Amino acid sequence: MIQVEHLSKAFFDYRRGWVPAVDDVSFECRPGEIFGLLGPNGAGKTTTLRILSTVLKPTAGRAIVAGHDVVLEPEEVRARIGFMSSNTGVYDRMTAWELVEYFGRLYGIEGDALKARMEEIFSWLQMNEFRDVLGSKMSTGMRQKVSIARTIVHDPPVLIFDEPTSGLDVLVARAVLLKIAELRDRGKTIIFSTHSMQEVTKLCDRVAIIYKGRLQAEGRPGELLERFDQPDLEELFFHLVERADADAVASA
Amino acid sequence: MRWSRIRLIFGRELRDQLRDRRTIFMIFVLPVLLYPILGFTVKTLAEAFDNTVRRVVVVGAEYLPDEPPLLTEGEGGFLRFDPGLFDGGGSPPLLIEPVPPGGRWDDPQQQLAALRNGEADVIVDIPAEVRGQITRLERPTFKIAYLRSDEQSLATYQVVEDVIARWQDAIVARRLAADEKPAEYVAPVEVEAVDLARQVLGSSASGVSVWARLFPFLLVMMALTGAFYPAVDLCAGEKERGTMETLLISPALRSEIVVGKFLTVMAASAGTALLNLASMGLTMAVLGPQLAAGAAGPGSPMDELAPPSPIALAWIVVLLIPLSGFFSAVCLALAVLARSMKEGQYYMTPLYLISLPLIFLTLMPGVDLNPFYSLVPITGVSLLLKKLILEQYVEARPYFLPVLLSTIVYGLIALRWAVGQFRTEQVLFREAERFDLGSWVRHLVRDRGPVPSGGQAVACFAIILALSWYTSILLTRTDPLVALALGQLVFILVPPTAMALVLTSSPRRTLRLRWPGWAPILLATGLAATLNPLTAELRPVVTDLFPIPPAVEQALEALQAAIPNLATAVLLIAVIPAICEEVAFRGYILSGLETAHSRGVAIVLSAFLFAFLHVLISLFQQFFNAALLGLVLGWMALKTRSLFPSIAFHLTNNALAVLGPSLSVGWLYRDQTLFLYRWPIVAFGAVASIGLLAVLDRIGQTKADDPVAADLPADQLAGASAAGPE
Repeated sequence: MIQVEHLSKAFFDYRRGWVPAVDDVSFECRPGEIFGLLGPNGAGKTTTLRILSTVLKPTAGRAIVAGHDVVLEPEEVRARIGFMSSNTGVYDRMTAWELVEYFGRLYGIEGDALKARMEEIFSWLQMNEFRDVLGSKMSTGMRQKVSIARTIVHDPPVLIFDEPTSGLDVLVARAVLLKIAELRDRGKTIIFSTHSMQEVTKLCDRVAIIYKGRLQAEGRPGELLERFDQPDLEELFFHLVERADADAVASA
Repeated sequence: MRWSRIRLIFGRELRDQLRDRRTIFMIFVLPVLLYPILGFTVKTLAEAFDNTVRRVVVVGAEYLPDEPPLLTEGEGGFLRFDPGLFDGGGSPPLLIEPVPPGGRWDDPQQQLAALRNGEADVIVDIPAEVRGQITRLERPTFKIAYLRSDEQSLATYQVVEDVIARWQDAIVARRLAADEKPAEYVAPVEVEAVDLARQVLGSSASGVSVWARLFPFLLVMMALTGAFYPAVDLCAGEKERGTMETLLISPALRSEIVVGKFLTVMAASAGTALLNLASMGLTMAVLGPQLAAGAAGPGSPMDELAPPSPIALAWIVVLLIPLSGFFSAVCLALAVLARSMKEGQYYMTPLYLISLPLIFLTLMPGVDLNPFYSLVPITGVSLLLKKLILEQYVEARPYFLPVLLSTIVYGLIALRWAVGQFRTEQVLFREAERFDLGSWVRHLVRDRGPVPSGGQAVACFAIILALSWYTSILLTRTDPLVALALGQLVFILVPPTAMALVLTSSPRRTLRLRWPGWAPILLATGLAATLNPLTAELRPVVTDLFPIPPAVEQALEALQAAIPNLATAVLLIAVIPAICEEVAFRGYILSGLETAHSRGVAIVLSAFLFAFLHVLISLFQQFFNAALLGLVLGWMALKTRSLFPSIAFHLTNNALAVLGPSLSVGWLYRDQTLFLYRWPIVAFGAVASIGLLAVLDRIGQTKADDPVAADLPADQLAGASAAGPE
């Protein structure tokens, strides 16, 4: 459902020239599976996911999402994905209901079908008590739920979550993770980025560890621990980071 | 593009704006409240001013004759001007203070002090001999001391002067009666001023002259202001609030998003303009007559502020829509560059700096709608509005379509630019960078490409303009011929050459210093000659439309007279400009524009910049000719990938202008003063030009397939520079 092949992205900065943010990254994720993208801040997770959501164009490589190339058919891709990140905010001057309805209509769902779908989502996410609250008056947890509702209103086969639990308290974070797991059980292809090892352990079927724009390792969590002979994900992560830093020093 | 999605986005954005307290305040509340409050404040202040007691000190009141009376005793024994000397209307309260002559009221220093500290507003000095002088038919002098800089003193002076003038009339009337002469004896002719607009169209129509000047100006300003804030909120504001990306990942196309936002901004712009003007018009309609009646009487400027007629208002709405559209698209494209609302506000200043001169043009006396102005953005609309408010529909009619269409075209270009901005990820996801001049310059040199960027091309043009402007001031005292040569060499040749050397890795490619062989050079020279009869036909048309002011014409003739011989003329007017301007415009600037735009757009832009330079350094009338030649030169430079044919063309073209009048080949011309060629020659020129253009086009195509030709041997490069003016 998502195929990423040798994806690279560099940004131009007049101090440093071209700076690679994502460098030759390849992975694949399938329906009914949560694929975790684990890495520290600035590792290139958000850039990779932004390329998958078609708002950034890769400098090299390609990505196929739900059967469509992100560069050649961005509109087709956008119609088939739900994307949520800390950069996809909620409109201040719109209520929860209005916002979800607006995006539903942008995806081409109208009338009774949209209303039925929204009622279903609002009860599933327990959003009915704040459906008429304006975005500016919502708590962080409410906003996150509205974002999830917006992400799934058109029932897309592919869901992309960029650090969906960042800034949330444990209760809300847990609720969000449970909902993501439920979505996986409904057969969605889910890609999920985080810097929390715990979340990966709990949620992800497969994981890719990304550091300094490069993919350091990819596979099932258990498989990876075995391959690198590490006791847990945290140790594995530090091992890979140290190895990458040592490689960088050696090549410099 | 799907209209259903555009409608959806427009609906949401509009609702969003209407839910924003700031927008509501700016668009609805402010205009509705501001003008009535302002109006009433002005009215109250004016009334307060009218009701202030003015002090008139009369020195030597006792010398005045009893008949006809100037001063009489009023209620309570106070002196006053005789009520019969006022012209029906009310008069401001005057306090007459008679003082005996002599003492401090005779000393101008002390009079000034009295006027300044408010003891008196005017001081009337009546001569002691006034009675006898009037009887003996001498002219006694009444001195009225006042302060011109003091509004109240000035106003009092005007009232007192009027009163004394009427008193004089009364004296004259008595003399006429005594001599049994009719009134016509001293006033043989009566002059009646007839304001036709007022007489024929009713009183409101006379107000249009004030409106016609004020209204377009205000309408354009409001449309711009009304577009700017929503545009910043819808672009920079959304980025700041983190909702821009939410919209970008929806299935809506970028063009749909931009058009949706554009329509919202346009509605806000048109709404602001209309509401402001409606509120202002109503305030003026209500307060104008009151002020007029209260203060200065009918016919005063206040009376002329009645709003324009309903037909004119309907026209205003029709024109406002494309104008708002134009501003909305420009604001949207600019606002998306900003990362935050605060940064967005900074972009307001350059926008106003560009728009204001275009609007101020309409306030200048003598600037009237013509085919050229009708195509200038903003100015065309403003001038047409002026005509429509003056109800000159017949004169306005031919310009309606050009103004409307050109504004729509400019709006569409700006909208396309905005869509382009929304497709550029560097614009949408611009990160904050700490600006540091040193590392920025290092980056410019380190990361330089073979040819300049579009921005560098525009920067080069701006540097040339700024330098030409400043040097024209500095060089006014030097020999005009030296100034002419220096201006070209230092300020048109040096910036692009230096920029090409420092900021590009291939100055040779940038400046197109490729030897194309002799054929294109000869063809270009021939083309300049065959096009000459055609461009000559353009000249009288342009000077008919935009006559050259006599002063400018004299200055030009003086400059020509200062040139000692023909060889110097050719050097100064043909050789040096050909090399300098080609290096700048078809070299550096066109190369830069080519990287940023398609070839056609690059040629048109470079031709426009070329023409614009001629407006600044030479004559406005050269705009058209320069633009036309700029198109041919740009096309030629791109086709032959060399600067030399353009130089040859430019040189020949200018040389013909210099040599034409000197060569005694009278048989060529049908008009020897305007140098218009005989018709067969014009026809031959047209046919030959088409032929030469076709050959150049084919040469360009075959050369383009030959990559080896791209390099220029070093000796030929040396030869090219030897041909320069040294």
